[in-house]
Amino acid sequence: MKPELEALQLNAFVDGELDLSSQLEIEARMREDAGLRAQVEGLRQLREALRDDAGYHAAPAALRRRVATMVALQLPMPTRQRAGNVAAQRWLGWRPMVVAFGLMTALVLAIAPPWLRSARDSRLREEVLASHVRATLSQHLVDLASSDHHVVKPWLSARLDFSPPVRELQIPGSVFLGGRVDYLDGRPVAALVYRQGEHIVNSFVWPTRGGDSTAVFWTERGFQMAHWSRGGMNHWVISDVNRQEFEAVVRGLAQGGAET
Amino acid sequence: MSDEENRRHFEALALPHLDAAYNLARWLTRNDQDAQDVVQEAFLRAMRYMGSFRGSNARPWLLQVVRNTCFSWLKDNRPAEAVGFDENDEAMHEIAAPIADEPHSMAVRNSDREQIDLAIAALPAVYREVLVLRELEDLSYNDIARIAGIPVGTVMSRLARARGLLRQALMPDARPVLRTVPRVAQGAKQS
Repeated sequence: MKPELEALQLNAFVDGELDLSSQLEIEARMREDAGLRAQVEGLRQLREALRDDAGYHAAPAALRRRVATMVALQLPMPTRQRAGNVAAQRWLGWRPMVVAFGLMTALVLAIAPPWLRSARDSRLREEVLASHVRATLSQHLVDLASSDHHVVKPWLSARLDFSPPVRELQIPGSVFLGGRVDYLDGRPVAALVYRQGEHIVNSFVWPTRGGDSTAVFWTERGFQMAHWSRGGMNHWVISDVNRQEFEAVVRGLAQGGAET
Repeated sequence: MSDEENRRHFEALALPHLDAAYNLARWLTRNDQDAQDVVQEAFLRAMRYMGSFRGSNARPWLLQVVRNTCFSWLKDNRPAEAVGFDENDEAMHEIAAPIADEPHSMAVRNSDREQIDLAIAALPAVYREVLVLRELEDLSYNDIARIAGIPVGTVMSRLARARGLLRQALMPDARPVLRTVPRVAQGAKQS
């Protein structure tokens, strides 16, 4: 047998990948041939050394979280239009029972009577809450970590079809962590993330056609939430911080601080 | 199937093989950050093409996606390394001739982990790929052939070549022995 072919055969033999007759043939030859035995032994030892000692790279925790979040959201970072569609589909997939209601809502939304708006609001509350919990659980709080609004704002503007107001909060104990793109209300939105003491604050912003409205506060499953509209932008804020600090945060976001 | 069912299905199918995916990407890109990016991209692709998966074992299917994502990534970022990835015909003469009658054992055993890792990392990508799939992921020749998109015969020849190269790297002294005096050689090695 040509030595090259024999090398292949012996490798396959050691890997247990030969058909039975070839396997038996080599075993028979090994009994006669010390050189062959040594070769096989050499291959086996190399194999064992590799299996025992070669580095196996398990996925780092950060990657595990990133992928899990990505799968949970079922969203790549595709084009804006597609993102909206997928978010809508996801919504429909999640709540088949309200599909009919959702469609009706969509149809009549142009008129937007006040009683319908509240249905949309409660759906949005759920979405905002889910997004906040998902982000804190997965530790994927920000796509861009920066405490500088001059960095975060252009980054977000480049990824969205609007330019969100980005503020650093001028209140004690507050740190601006950065921003990410999230999906709410069937569209990509800006999420600005702050840390207030030990608590995470998610502030979501996206454009609205509606007029200004003053801030409404409420508590949902232990989370503080607030919503207002100003300057053509919808604002939704959520955190597990206490009510007092939360109000300070909302005041800071709604009124002042450094803005670009 | 609804989107939610699809998502659950994909989670159950693909997430258990995240370690294998990263291990392959890490060995092919030889860099943690690049491997993470490639794996994320591969999972995106896999999610998109989940419809193309048939059967019960998702591991080879997913690793195939990872492997192809690695390959495109290497082509874009390190074209020199991607050479030969898609070649099916390996010239047989490339394969290292077997080295008979040599005391591999001591030398290999004495190589520490670091040396083994370095030797694997130094293999050309086409050989590294089959070796990692075989020795670290314990996949069959058939699965490896499918993942790498090559015939089983090529898997065999690349694997033989990879092991030959590794042996040369791990036992540089043991290579060109022409005289066959095993006992003396063994004695000399142990001293």
